Formats: sequence, structure tokens, C-alpha cells
Amino acid sequence: MRILGIESSCDETALALVVGKGDQLKVENSTVLSQIQTHQQYGGVVPEVAAREHLAAIFPMLEREIPFDGKGIDAVAVTSGPGLAPALRIGVEVAKTLAWSWGVPLVGVCHLEGHIYASWLPRAKRLFLFLPQKTPIFPALSLIVSGGHTELVLMHDHGRFERIGETMDDAAGEAFDKVAKMLGLPYPGGPHIARLAVGGDTKAFDFPRGLLDRDNFEFSFSGLKTSVLYTLRKNEDKLENVEFRQNIAASFQEAAVDVLTQKSMKAIEKYKPKSFILAGGVAANIELRKRIKKEGTRRATKVFVPPFTYSVDNAAMIAVAGYFRAQNDKNFVEPEDLAADSNMDIV
Amino acid sequence: MKHVSKSELQTKEIAAKFARKLAGGEFIELVGDLGAGKTVFVRGMVEALGSTARVKSPTFTIMNEYPVQGEHVTKIAHLDLYRFDDESQLSALELEDYINDKTVICVEWPDIFGKSPFEPTHRVTIEHVDVDTREIIVNEL
Repeated sequence: MRILGIESSCDETALALVVGKGDQLKVENSTVLSQIQTHQQYGGVVPEVAAREHLAAIFPMLEREIPFDGKGIDAVAVTSGPGLAPALRIGVEVAKTLAWSWGVPLVGVCHLEGHIYASWLPRAKRLFLFLPQKTPIFPALSLIVSGGHTELVLMHDHGRFERIGETMDDAAGEAFDKVAKMLGLPYPGGPHIARLAVGGDTKAFDFPRGLLDRDNFEFSFSGLKTSVLYTLRKNEDKLENVEFRQNIAASFQEAAVDVLTQKSMKAIEKYKPKSFILAGGVAANIELRKRIKKEGTRRATKVFVPPFTYSVDNAAMIAVAGYFRAQNDKNFVEPEDLAADSNMDIV
Repeated sequence: MKHVSKSELQTKEIAAKFARKLAGGEFIELVGDLGAGKTVFVRGMVEALGSTARVKSPTFTIMNEYPVQGEHVTKIAHLDLYRFDDESQLSALELEDYINDKTVICVEWPDIFGKSPFEPTHRVTIEHVDVDTREIIVNEL
């Protein structure tokens, strides 16, 4: 089956063509156009601006990357939520139109499900090409961390998800962003904090680890963010001091990574999954990758971290999620029935 | 009107009471420091109007929309201007498209540019008293 994936939930317009046969997948094309430069001036993603940019980008992209008559395409998968409502609508309407005019089935995909399925995508660099690609085994536990999400999702089988915890306030990526702004660093803040943290003392400040003592899988990053703010206010004279800034970044990152890792490990101990999947844009954070891999492997769980290109928003992951959904006819929707749902839940 | 909240739950209850009295079309400014509980207040409002949507801080996404099932209100638009640094950026939000009788707009950090450029109907101020205690002042303007 050759499936077209479309993604427009936030600030990346993306298309992908993925061919699947059984468990073997091949990405024929994956194109992502980031709007990050447009949104940088606002310090965040403005929904209406994102929608306009998607609209301007998506047709030229389709024309360039996809056969006009849809020849050889067996199905269309699109992110129908969660995300920014005006942005989502562009991708969804385009997908509906294509599925209807080509006369092929349409599948709505949850964006978070897509992030998890990124770990099924074949890797560009493989040591032994003759060996089949290793994919996660069920039950699989996934930590999804991005600018908009922080959740732990248990995947029992293809298409069977159970959310076991999420953030009560800010997403982890958002905390990175806010602290970056406090330190006068540009948006998006994650990579800047990570860079500044190198060489800093992770123990210089004892920032709070939200909800770590609680026996559940909920996260909170609001207290951490507030604590960084108060520390900065108390030390206004040091704001330009390089060592002080490095220490703040390092101690903050340590606290965030600590919470994410420890909650994940607690969940591994409780649910005993066969695989653990780190997903979402914050998965690009090197400290987090290192800690999760080390601690997860120690608990005899195989840890999957998608390569960076598939950690951030892309359409190949949406196509793969759609491919597995498409194995069951019940998941097909009539084009006129599909609507974007900005608050969609993973199920 | 002045309230004292001793917990997130109480903040949500105060917000719920406030939300049930809304007639639709309100423009609410939420003022308070980082971590004061502005997002918690909006969560209380959304929940009180019969929505199960999971309200999260819109700092990264600037604006979130929540469909609700209130008698007079069917949508809450939740904005956070924390990352904006110039008033001219506001036009990008196309806020005019959101203003109608059935939508309530909630804006965090309305005075990030020094002074609020809006003509709000309500202003909710949340002050840190100590770690858990907040003073919540609801002003109808």
C-alpha cells in the first residue's frame, strides 16, 4: 500500500509518501517546510499566521512532490488533531479533497500517535542492511515530549493506546522555552538552553522536581519555571555573568530531564513494557536521550529514539500511523465526515 | 470582588463560579506573575462550562480554542502574549474573527507591551501571597 501523509498541525507543512507491506515500510518521499522563521518574531506559533503559511505552501508542495492524478496512491492519511485549529484545518481540507477526487480511502490520524509511530520508520543509516529493521514490540510505553505535549502513553497493540499520564500545566518543551526567554535567549529555546548548559554545574541550584514524590504519572513544570524566575530575580546583578547563566541552564535542564526520566522509569517498572519509545521534538535533547537510554536499558527495556528528522513534526510518521490504521476498513472516514479536532485525545 | 484561594482546586472553583455567570462575548484579561495560576483559572472556566478539553498553557501556541457547552458560551479562546514584544504583532492573531456573542476571550499577559491595548470587559488579577495562597481579584470593567 502506498499512502500519502499530510501534516499541518503546528508550524511545519509536511507531505510524505510511504509504502508499506506487512511490517516493512519504505519512505519514498518526506518533505517538511518549517515556518519557524516566520514565527520567530512572535516568539511562538501564531495560529492564523501558521494557517496562512500552510495554505501558501501546501499546493506548490503537492504539485512538486506528488503525482497530480494520484496515480499509485492507495490512501490518504492526515493529522486531524490535536494542534492549532486553523492550521489543522488546512491539511484536513486538502486531504479530504484529494481522497474524494482520487477516489481513495481517507484516514484521520492523531498527531501524538504519529510521533509514536516515528519509531517504526526505517533509519537512513543502518549498519547491517541485510538484517530486517528492528521495530518496537508490544506492549510499548512512549514518552511524548514536545513544545505542546508531555505525556506517557501505553500502546497495547497497533491502534490501541492508553494515556497513563500527562502534564497538569506546561509542556516540558514550553518550560525550556520560557526559561530561555527569561535568560534572553531566542525562540525556540530548547537547543539554546542545552547549548548553554554544557559546562554548567547541574547542582548549582536545587530546582524543584514537580510531582516526583507522587505515585502517579502526571507531570508539572510550572513550579520549576517559577523557581527559575525567582532565582533570576534574586540574582539580578549576575544576569550577565556567563558562569551563572550556564549554571542556571544546567540546573534547570537537569531538573527537567530528571523528572521526565524518573517518571518514565516508574512507569516502566509498573507496566513492564517490552519497548520504550521516546518521541516528540524534545527527544532531540541529548541529555534526555542519554538518560532515558541508559536507565531504560538497565530495566531491560529496549529503548527506541527516532532520528532527529522524524522526532520533529513530519508527515512520514503520519503516513505510517495511517498505514497501520488502514489495515482495518473501520478506520476509513468519508471525506465529508472528517473534521479537524484541535483538542483530540489519543485512543 | 476579592477572593482568597488556598489551592489550585479553590482557584478553579472561583473560576467556575465566574464562568457560569458569563453571558457570552466577554473579553477577559488575566494578570499575574508566572506561576500565579492564570492557566488554572482558565481551566476552571472551561471545565465549568462542561468541556472535558485539557486546558494547557498557550505560551508556545499563543492561542488555544476550547469548544464548550455553556448555555450562552460555546467557545473559549485562550491567549498568552508572554512571548510577544510589540503591539503590532497583535494583528497576526486575527482576533476580530473570534469576537462574537458566543465566544469568551481570555488573554494572559495583556500588558506585556506596558499597557493593555484591549478594551476588556473583565480583569482578573491573581497575586502570589505565598507558595499555595493566591489573592484573586475579579473586576468587571
